[in-house]
Amino acid sequence: MRQLELLQHTDTVNELLARYGVRFGIYKNNTFKEQLFPFDAIPRVIEYEEFLYLERGLKQRVTALNLFIKDIYSDKKIVKDGVVPEDFIFASSGYLAECEGILPPKGIYSHISGIDLVKGKDGNWYILEDNLRVPSGASYPMIARELCRRSSPETFHDNHLEDNRNYAQLLRQTFDHVSVGGHTVILTPGRYNAAYFEHSYLAERTGAHLVNGSELKVEDDKLYYVAVNGKKERVGAVYRRISDEYLDPMNFNPQSLIGIPHIFDVFRKGNVALLNAPGNGVADDKGIYYFAPKMIKYYLGEEPVLSNAPTYLPFYKEDMAYVLEHFDNLVLKDVAEAGGYGVVFGDAMTREQREAFIVLLKKEPRRFIAQEVIDFQDLDIQEEGGRVPRKADLRAFVLMADEPLVWKSGLTRFSRNSDSFIVNSSQGGGFKDTWVLSQ
Amino acid sequence: MKKLHFDYCMQIAYSEVVSVCHFTIKCFPMKTLRQEVESTSIELYPAVTYSTGEDSFGNRQIYGENTIPHDTFQFHITGDVRTGLAGWEKEDDGKMTAVFRHPHGLNVAGEALYAYHVGLKTSLPAGNYEKGIYLMNRLYHDFAYEKGCTGMDTTAEQAWKLGRGVCQDYAHIMIALLHREGIPARYVTGMMIGEGASHAWVELCHEGKWYGLDPTNNAPAGDDYIRIGCGRDAADCLINRGIMHGGGNQMQTVRVSVTETDF
Repeated sequence: MRQLELLQHTDTVNELLARYGVRFGIYKNNTFKEQLFPFDAIPRVIEYEEFLYLERGLKQRVTALNLFIKDIYSDKKIVKDGVVPEDFIFASSGYLAECEGILPPKGIYSHISGIDLVKGKDGNWYILEDNLRVPSGASYPMIARELCRRSSPETFHDNHLEDNRNYAQLLRQTFDHVSVGGHTVILTPGRYNAAYFEHSYLAERTGAHLVNGSELKVEDDKLYYVAVNGKKERVGAVYRRISDEYLDPMNFNPQSLIGIPHIFDVFRKGNVALLNAPGNGVADDKGIYYFAPKMIKYYLGEEPVLSNAPTYLPFYKEDMAYVLEHFDNLVLKDVAEAGGYGVVFGDAMTREQREAFIVLLKKEPRRFIAQEVIDFQDLDIQEEGGRVPRKADLRAFVLMADEPLVWKSGLTRFSRNSDSFIVNSSQGGGFKDTWVLSQ
Repeated sequence: MKKLHFDYCMQIAYSEVVSVCHFTIKCFPMKTLRQEVESTSIELYPAVTYSTGEDSFGNRQIYGENTIPHDTFQFHITGDVRTGLAGWEKEDDGKMTAVFRHPHGLNVAGEALYAYHVGLKTSLPAGNYEKGIYLMNRLYHDFAYEKGCTGMDTTAEQAWKLGRGVCQDYAHIMIALLHREGIPARYVTGMMIGEGASHAWVELCHEGKWYGLDPTNNAPAGDDYIRIGCGRDAADCLINRGIMHGGGNQMQTVRVSVTETDF
């Protein structure tokens, strides 16, 4: 690629991002701190044909994941047919028995999915994680693109890429598809949430009300938005950015102050759509990830377009043997953890750590997965001294409306340090815009 | 087969006025294979309108919001139930059976219960039902009934380490032991003749049928028992759940009476 004019404006874009409040909140030592989410102006570029391929694979995957969740909370055929062992479902923290027998509007459980991929040095794409609960991140490339266009219009005149500013329309289409009638709201836990910027930005862009729990109220098995003047208006869809546990103190964690009492009962009666549907975490468990390609074959009768990173489940005896034998080449993940925590590299452990880990692994094999360390492609970022390579992944956003929609962009995150493979934003990395070429 | 009349009254007295409260009550005996409900009447104080529904375990519930300021909340239900119509409950379509095979919430075992189970394992007979009878009998003798030493949130493991508890603890421990054997087991709430409070016991699945066993009394749950609801643990089938604004200190009293009546 020719040197982009845009690159001269990196500082301007970062200053504007800071001014617009594009931040990432983190809790460290019990205090809330916000940090800027550093933007690197060199875009990740995905060729037109390559993205068509990704799109096909992502649609297929998210369609199968939705069918899986629906099956789990109703007939459980995939368990009865022995494709997925019970242990990975009913003992998983993402499974909510409270959702048994509930069919959400239009039968959709994961409306907004954030699928994390990496591109290996072999040129193949691998899926690393399916994030279905409340995946965040779309707002960052949205606003970055906006600011980049403003800073360097010629860059976007000279390069032919897909416009990614339609995310809000796709989201709106997704809301409207499942809404049972009435307002659509975005429910935020509030100002001190890591992704508060995103909540407010998406509300502004989609035209949905940004609300907190105290502004919603259940009456006669229906959900209402209560305005400051006391006027009540029916709510048909809630894009909730709070986790299942805190959603409804009468059905889940009774200590929750940010939820809405009985909202889950309204959902159970089919009188409101919740995006994403409660209980869908059963499909984004790191242990369940292993089974996603099997789900595609089981529900769709198709071969998976996109592959998982080679993964082993110590739960299976053969896999345990493999893991113990190739310990140094593997990355081990605790299925109960998220955000880049609970991830350890076999070769980075001291002897004592490794011995202690193996004891734990043998005791609780269900708790871990092991993966081959994928040598994924580096992307260049700009630093003071020039360009340096960093590990990067891609979070693709797949929305489920009357058909699956893949946003022609995505969040590219890169690691802060050259020796790190962990690109999670909670761990201090930065992000890039993702360009999908339009021809 | 018996005909039982029940009277369940729960009262919560608050030291300060409650301005708003939300409530969910699951205290409704339902028709099952073992029992038939002839009549029920419900009274709420303060009298407010409520919604009705069923939870994911098939338990009937009423819920709503109470915006009448009050310092006492009362729920009163009476009715007549014919019990002992069958010795088991049917497995419905078996969809939920797998759910009840896995540890969850308050029935999760730890090192102490693993060790207890290992000690019993060699003497266990064949068959889920027979295993259940054996475990019930052992637990009845190895655990002491004592009120006030455990609470609503006590887990099976904690109660077992303590060595004492009430029906809820007996049930959780027994479910934990059955899970160690891979046997589907669930927590049942209900009422029985001779108890002044609500009661809890266990159902285990054996050859497609759910059998009720009461480890607190070392007996199968026969026609002295009125079944209210079931779940994985006590938290799934709490008879009363509420959150309130105001209220100060609260004092809950439950009076239950179950008496045999003529047909």
